[in-house]
Amino acid sequence: MRSLRTRLALTLVLLVTLTVAAIGIGVYAFVDASLRDRLVADARQQADFNLSVLLPAIQPQPADRAAFGASGLPEQFRLRGDADVIADFGDGEPWVPARLPRALDEVPPALRTIVGRGELGYAWQPMGGEPSLVVGARPAAGPSLYFVFPARAVEDALGQLRLGLLAGGLVAILLALVTSGLIARGILRPVTAGAAAARRIADGDLDARVPTGGTEEMARWAREFNRMADSLQSTVTRLEAAQGQNRRFVADVTHELRTPLTALVAEASVLEASIDTLPPDGRRAAQLLVADARRMRTLVDDLLEISRFDAAVEQPAVQAIDLGRLVTAVVAARHPEATVVLPSQPVVVDSDPRRLERILGNLLDNARAHAPGARVEVSLTPVTGGAVIVVADRGPGVAPDALAHLFDRFWKADPSRTGGTEPGGSSGLGLAIASEHAALLGGSLRARNRPGGGLIVALSVPVTQRLPAGHAADTRAADPRGASPPASRAGS
Amino acid sequence: MDARILLVEDDPSIREITAIGLRAAGFDVSSAADGPTALERWRQEQPDLVLLDVMLPRLDGLEVLRAIRRESTTPVVMLTARADTIDVVVGLESGADDYVRKPFELPELVARVRAALRRHAPEADGDGAPRRMRLGPVEIDPGGRSVARDGAPVELTRTEFDLLVELARHPGQVVDRDRLLDRVWGYDYLGDSRLVDVAIARLRAKIEADPAEPRLVLTVRGVGYKAARDA
Repeated sequence: MRSLRTRLALTLVLLVTLTVAAIGIGVYAFVDASLRDRLVADARQQADFNLSVLLPAIQPQPADRAAFGASGLPEQFRLRGDADVIADFGDGEPWVPARLPRALDEVPPALRTIVGRGELGYAWQPMGGEPSLVVGARPAAGPSLYFVFPARAVEDALGQLRLGLLAGGLVAILLALVTSGLIARGILRPVTAGAAAARRIADGDLDARVPTGGTEEMARWAREFNRMADSLQSTVTRLEAAQGQNRRFVADVTHELRTPLTALVAEASVLEASIDTLPPDGRRAAQLLVADARRMRTLVDDLLEISRFDAAVEQPAVQAIDLGRLVTAVVAARHPEATVVLPSQPVVVDSDPRRLERILGNLLDNARAHAPGARVEVSLTPVTGGAVIVVADRGPGVAPDALAHLFDRFWKADPSRTGGTEPGGSSGLGLAIASEHAALLGGSLRARNRPGGGLIVALSVPVTQRLPAGHAADTRAADPRGASPPASRAGS
Repeated sequence: MDARILLVEDDPSIREITAIGLRAAGFDVSSAADGPTALERWRQEQPDLVLLDVMLPRLDGLEVLRAIRRESTTPVVMLTARADTIDVVVGLESGADDYVRKPFELPELVARVRAALRRHAPEADGDGAPRRMRLGPVEIDPGGRSVARDGAPVELTRTEFDLLVELARHPGQVVDRDRLLDRVWGYDYLGDSRLVDVAIARLRAKIEADPAEPRLVLTVRGVGYKAARDA
């Protein structure tokens, strides 16, 4: 499919070509006709004069070639009209000019027929290689006479005209070829501007408008386009303001909850220390209080964390990270029973370690909560442009249609389970938070079911900057053990 | 133990329960509800450690922290509502030794306070005499907990001092952030690696000739830090 601009440009060139051709052909035909008409008129006049004045002056009329040559007529015709003469006596021995020995044979038969009927006729005919006008006539008594007028001047003028017209036409077409693209672009400029504005709006720049100048039709179109953009912008602004208020409210409420919650959590933890001294009824109440305070703490922490994403104030703090060390450390802290599989070479990325710890920690918490007691395997694999950290459990997995909602806020695999009363119960936000962190780091979280049962969650982390080789060598030489084993860390 | 702690916290409930919890853990606690009172108490009582809420009425917690740091190297642990605000980094840069996120449980807080107070007892080397160390122009006396650069004494907080000792004990060997968090801050699980990075920056500012071009404490990208072997 050719572009509108190309088609417009080609049409322009075609129009110019046709116009130039028509004008050229017209001019040529007109000049050609008028030049030849004038020569013919002059020639006929001269022929008439020759036949009616010069020829009758010779008596008796010459009857053969010798007599004609002796009569001096050829010289007179040449002097009066610059015309050579051919005299045909019908005896196969015509008088011809010295420069045209085979002249009679060159006279077109059609002209000879006309002349044979006693009429005046003419023909454009090269004679002896020279362009010529031949006018023929036969007086009442005597030979058929053909006057040969040179037409070289006319042919030369016409030739020059042809060259001139051809050259001018070519120049005009070339010019059209060169400028038609620009002209087409000029014509299409409002359309192009409209397309650019529409694309900017689609990309979220609601301030984009099109200029309203130009032709009336385009200006009207531009005004309508801008009116549509205005309306879209005001709607979006209103919606965003409402959503922003909503989110601010959630953030404010959560923040205000934090001070009493801090007191509550501290109080519960002090109460817990002396829980054994309470009477049985009070003891159970205290246990529930402690557990609920913890649940509330998790929920408020998570709500605050996710409301910061909504407020779009989160900025990653990037530094070089040895992912193998990070994975080992997080697993040791959050799920020490999980097995860790690392590549033989260190994998170093530029990323935010605290966010990576948060993501991986939440994935491990999720595995522990939804696949209790099941084996969990964490693996790190370098890939082109980044690394993939996979947390795979051998638990029950999730229903296939639930996979798409796994990272939704407050989504729970089993609707009858509402966070649970077990200590450290999840808020339902852990995976949503992990997903937000991953997106902020330029990576992604994906979940799928494991063929043999269980859930696999893969975190892709991009390498934002490659580590210079010298540093990597430095790392390995200085600490050949790789990540320090958790046992030695816990012991010290 | 009977270490004396100054607790600075404006919310009365949090202040009271925290004081109860700390006393139950064996500390001697006095408290203040605002910045000026906090500074007054600190000067009178010279506590072993300050627990400081960064959001305080009248005088900002960070101002209190800077005022304390101008006069002393007393360990300061911040109490902060959020771990990822600029307050935490500014607090650490201003010389706080550690921070605890709100809400906290008392055992958590007590562990952080104990770790900050512990900040290694002098290292004994076999026969019990702490070994003096040297890192380029810097001389370290673990026994006297003193540091001098070209003979002139350098004032380091306990955290900075322990960090320097931890690195200087094995010149040329990389120590990763987790190990530093464990050895210096007492985090036996994931800690905030910014604690290490900010403390390293503070340490460099005090002992390096040009902190922007460190020659004594070197960064090993992606891993941690090491003391220069031939400084």
